[in-house]
Amino acid sequence: MSTQTKNGYMLIFRGTDWHNGLSPEQMQQVASQWMAWFKRLTAEGKVVAGNPLEREGKIVSGKNGRVVADGPFAESKEAIGGYFLLNVASLDEAVAIAQECPGLPYGAKVEVRPVMDQCALSGEALPENQLAEATA
Amino acid sequence: MDGKNEYLLIFRGKEWWRGLSPEELRNTMELIKGWFDRLTESGELKAAQPLVREGALVSGRNGSVVADGPFAESKEVIGGYAVLKVNSLDDAIAIARSCPTLKFGMQAEVRPVAEECPMLAYARRVILEEQFATASA
Repeated sequence: MSTQTKNGYMLIFRGTDWHNGLSPEQMQQVASQWMAWFKRLTAEGKVVAGNPLEREGKIVSGKNGRVVADGPFAESKEAIGGYFLLNVASLDEAVAIAQECPGLPYGAKVEVRPVMDQCALSGEALPENQLAEATA
Repeated sequence: MDGKNEYLLIFRGKEWWRGLSPEELRNTMELIKGWFDRLTESGELKAAQPLVREGALVSGRNGSVVADGPFAESKEVIGGYAVLKVNSLDDAIAIARSCPTLKFGMQAEVRPVAEECPMLAYARRVILEEQFATASA
């Protein structure tokens, strides 16, 4: 399932409303700090990918994906504004990088999640393993 | 540029596989593998990875607040992601709708990757509008 061989951590930037109180000039300043941060981490080999997301999109659910709903992806505390993929060895290192996020002082949150090299289904949830769990 | 755009698929949901029979698990695993293989072969899938259902949430000025999960119980929890390279949002939605795990309650969020930070684009537009307003006043 994985198309990358190396594990790592995903930083998920939460909140698409925190910059509402900023002036356009302050927004530009935070954005340039953010880009400088991304460039430095790239140069250090600590970030392998990253993107901002448009404040639009859909949520697909239901059997055969019959329910296609709108966001909310704008003006939300929980909505995802973008992500980084980190190539670092430990959760502590990933958290330390997350703590440098230039959006934090304004209310942005950063979710830090370890990436798996294969689907959980092929690991703990394998029938054989479930059986082992049940009989343990 | 090849005219194609990137879309992030964010898979959300509890550990939907719990409670499935071994037979259902085996069938579902094959369906999932086939789904990813097909998208990889067609060139529509650029990357995909599952996430461990643990981690941390960093917030507060200077990231002083570091909270552990929980990332397992919530219906909204992110279980993995995929980056698609397709022509349109509709194409990305069609791929999301074909995901074999939707029937177990999983949700797929489909989000266009932005060419530049939307906050920066917004700030630039507001500043330009101010300059126009001042110039024409």
